[in-house]
Amino acid sequence: MAATPSSEARAGLKLISPTAIYVILLLAVPLATVLVYSVMTGGRGIVSLPLTIDNYAQLWSKSVYGYIMFKSLMVALTVTFITVILAYPVAYFVSFHVKPDRKSLWLFLITIPFWTSYIIRVSLWFVILGYDGVLDKTLMGLGIMNTQLNFSSYGIPAIIFVLAHAYAPFAVLPIFVSLEKVDRSLLEAGQDLGESRWITFLRVTLPLSMPGVIAAALIVFIPTVGDYVTPKLVGDGKEPMIANFIETQLLKLQNFPQGSAFAVASMLMVGIVSVAFVLLNRRFIGGQK
Amino acid sequence: MTFSDDRPTMIEFKDVHKYYGDYHALRGINGTIKAGEFFSLLGPSGCGKTTLLRTIAGFEDISSGVIMIDGKDMAGVAANVRPTNMVFQSYAIFPHMSVAENVGFGLRKDPRSKEEKARAVAEALEMVGLKGYGNRAAHALSGGQRQRVALARALILKPKVLLLDEPLSALDKKMREHMQVELIKLQRQVGITFILVTHDQEEALVMSDRIAVMFEGEIAQLADPETLYRRPATKKVADFIGTMNFVPAEILSETGNAVEVDAKGLGRVMLDIAQAPAKAGESPVVGLRPETLTLLYDDQKPSERETDGVIDEVIYFGDMTYYDVYLGGTDVEVRLSMRNVPGRPVLDVGEKVRVAWSPSALVLFR
Repeated sequence: MAATPSSEARAGLKLISPTAIYVILLLAVPLATVLVYSVMTGGRGIVSLPLTIDNYAQLWSKSVYGYIMFKSLMVALTVTFITVILAYPVAYFVSFHVKPDRKSLWLFLITIPFWTSYIIRVSLWFVILGYDGVLDKTLMGLGIMNTQLNFSSYGIPAIIFVLAHAYAPFAVLPIFVSLEKVDRSLLEAGQDLGESRWITFLRVTLPLSMPGVIAAALIVFIPTVGDYVTPKLVGDGKEPMIANFIETQLLKLQNFPQGSAFAVASMLMVGIVSVAFVLLNRRFIGGQK
Repeated sequence: MTFSDDRPTMIEFKDVHKYYGDYHALRGINGTIKAGEFFSLLGPSGCGKTTLLRTIAGFEDISSGVIMIDGKDMAGVAANVRPTNMVFQSYAIFPHMSVAENVGFGLRKDPRSKEEKARAVAEALEMVGLKGYGNRAAHALSGGQRQRVALARALILKPKVLLLDEPLSALDKKMREHMQVELIKLQRQVGITFILVTHDQEEALVMSDRIAVMFEGEIAQLADPETLYRRPATKKVADFIGTMNFVPAEILSETGNAVEVDAKGLGRVMLDIAQAPAKAGESPVVGLRPETLTLLYDDQKPSERETDGVIDEVIYFGDMTYYDVYLGGTDVEVRLSMRNVPGRPVLDVGEKVRVAWSPSALVLFR
């Protein structure tokens, strides 16, 4: 029996080893490479010693890096905000007003957009929002506009619009789960103690569903801040975000150390914002269970 | 024990019906609950007692009829403006708030200053025995403590009626008995009308001034505990409350205030009309509580009414022994309970015994 824990641990290691090897090769090694590159001296297509922090100094001194970072964070935060605000009523409706035996059907319907590849969905928005696309034809046909609106060329607003649509289902699910966990007798208690439905929502339902809201915010924020496809396809590619800028650095300019430094800085930035979200979440979860 | 009838009426039901689709949950509820009364709604699960409580609170609409609280018709009055507060079965303690925040939840619109409200919360907590618990997180409380918080949270609003939905069912036996006494004390202290929903007949008997026994959406009997126990209105009520022996009987004659019956194994007996509640269309039986039957030992004098019997089963409880006895050479078996006192040995199966009983303890169901 004494040997059991270690033999169990060995069995556990064996079980996870394929995944572990996969993760080490495809995640840890590239990440380490990026970290090392970011402190090396670079030229076009060349990475060499000595070690330097010049690349990071460049990020600080050249305003374009800060601008791209700031713009990406703003776009991602706006998308997160819009998505969560739009997803909450949907999740609330399904949780509170859909009959229990219909809920899974509703969730299933909400996940239907995932059946189509993300890239295809973004490209389809181009068909709808692009020059002389469905939107323009409709507006002009109805006589509301007399020239093409060409919304997809609007840059940041178009990017935000398309991203918010793409990530909405991601936000619905965690909010739905947290609303499902709200004990319904608490809502009756709120009303019993003299509060209207609306105030009861604000004082009871909303705080209790905040863990779901914050989880939804994280789930939307992290992928959108690093989104590559949408800024590339929408807005005529004129509004590059972090991922696009890194691509330019690494592949077009072949300045590996500079691109790596920017990537590391971006990771740090996203990490900080995410930790802030998690801490917020803990504040709400801390009051429960 | 009887609750004074001259108290003002707090709640009045007039022919209250409730349908859930085709299901008829409340079938014509009538009755009054007096101010300051500890009233219980007692019945098996599914009898409509919780539904009735929820219609008082305003969580359920009624399909027809009238519910008056303190002289006002409650039709169209939302739950949040009714003069009632509820202690939920699950206690419904807000998990994201501290104990003090829970207790003070209903004080948001109270015009008093912050300090005065804090004092009111502290007083409410002290009243339920949770002095100094204000800053604790609600989720860290035990079941009994949660219930006290739920009580304080409701009572701080000084409702006219406090509704309790099976508040003790989640507690262990010892805690439950302790809380029963505490609730009675608390009710006397605050003088508010308490309405308790329970399926536990013992709990209802212990705590209530009056009890409404409900079956299948109807009130079968509304009476004080002693009447309910000694003079149940129907066989079903008798069966639900405590243990009752039923002995088949034949009605011989009925004259004015007396009914003469021939009960199998007991013989002919004259009953007062008070012992024979109105006809319910059942085949006649007389009911006897186990404690109204006594085994006579050899040295004891013969009783006015006694019947021979044979012991069929002995159930020993320490302080009590239950005997199942066949009466007078018939197949009628009754259960009787005897206190185990010195000089009174526990008898064996098969022994012949004499069973003494009193006609006044009988109830006739017909």
